[in-house]
Amino acid sequence: MPDTITPRARILASLVLAFAVSAVTSPIMLPLLAMLAGVALWLGRAPWRRLRAPLVLAAVFVLGLGLASGTTVLLPLGPLALHAEGVQAGAMIAARMLAIVALVRALLGRLSPQALADGLRGLYLPPVMADMTLLTLRYLDDARAELARAELARRLRGGPVGWRGLPDRAMILAASLIRAQDRAERVWAAMRLRGHGALRAAAWPSAGELGVIGLAMACAAALLALDIAA
Amino acid sequence: MHLADGIVPVGMALAGYGASAGLTALSLSRINRLPDPGAGLPRAAMLVTVFFAASLIAIPVPPASVHLVLAGLMGVCLGWYAMPAILVGLFLQAVMFGHGGLTTLGLNGLIFGLPALAAFALWARIGGRWPDLAAAFAGGGTVLLALALFAGTVLLGLPASVDPAAERLALMALVTAHLPLVLAEGVIVLVLLRVLRRVEPRLLAHA
Repeated sequence: MPDTITPRARILASLVLAFAVSAVTSPIMLPLLAMLAGVALWLGRAPWRRLRAPLVLAAVFVLGLGLASGTTVLLPLGPLALHAEGVQAGAMIAARMLAIVALVRALLGRLSPQALADGLRGLYLPPVMADMTLLTLRYLDDARAELARAELARRLRGGPVGWRGLPDRAMILAASLIRAQDRAERVWAAMRLRGHGALRAAAWPSAGELGVIGLAMACAAALLALDIAA
Repeated sequence: MHLADGIVPVGMALAGYGASAGLTALSLSRINRLPDPGAGLPRAAMLVTVFFAASLIAIPVPPASVHLVLAGLMGVCLGWYAMPAILVGLFLQAVMFGHGGLTTLGLNGLIFGLPALAAFALWARIGGRWPDLAAAFAGGGTVLLALALFAGTVLLGLPASVDPAAERLALMALVTAHLPLVLAEGVIVLVLLRVLRRVEPRLLAHA
């Protein structure tokens, strides 16, 4: 995926394409959706381990609906049976989901947090939400690392695990919240001094951005036309 | 408990965006009525990161595990800032970790945002007199409410060809699997709010 595409155009293109894929209902479109997902995965070069959860969810849909719904037996499995209608409904859901996940990964997966925040600000998001996104992204890694450190320290001290550890975990969360409250004003003031924040007005879309969004809309229209024709 | 992309019809996903936008506009209008709307912003953003990180904490429920939701706690700590904060968190989760989805962002915003605002309203009304009761709702009660909203959305959104009895059975199994989360989150939020009330009550002073 070319790095010259702006974050704002990437977010808009992702939304347009995701909704178009979400609108596909014809089972004949399944191979096309699978191909779309494959191309998007190749373009996005997403590591497979990050796709584990969507793949597991997709398998749950195909097997779950296949076992629970339908009348035409596809594969008898002892007291249970896999039904064609259920498998088809599950496969449609799974294909739509995987195609959207792959598209989002390809278009947005390699954006830096700052670029993502800039893209959202460019979409005329309310200043409160744009600033909240910026500050959240700025502090996210710190907060996760701090919680992980506290959890590790708790376990090294021999803290209880599983359900007996819930009150301890609540105390860790409370400590994190209190520290975050103390740090919040200072971090935000420093960021504003460095010129961050939603005070900068969003620029009008450039010709390149309009081209990318137009291309995404054309692809979405073609996908929907194919689905209606199928 | 996030709705993934591709499960619900596109019309329903768009309706979710509309409803979430309405609720967010209401929240932002209430925030803008404050003497200094930007004053609560750093705290809201910092809290989102902690909630975001905390939602990755897994509670073991054999043979799998469930994750904390903390929507009620966000409502109690952030007040009207909770709805925009939840949408920001859900967007980042969808893009960065693949939890939830981009088309279902609006519906997921409602599933977590409505319980958060309910917890905020209850805390504002009875939090002073019966803080433990309000905390129990903010913990377990909001998870139950989110579960009900999630199940209702899935029931409405699944294809008509799916057998309704099987659909209800699958949803019952899903809800039952999440019941331990109601208990776990109830305990965590109750303890956490007790600590915050004693040590840092400023964190509970919301809009």
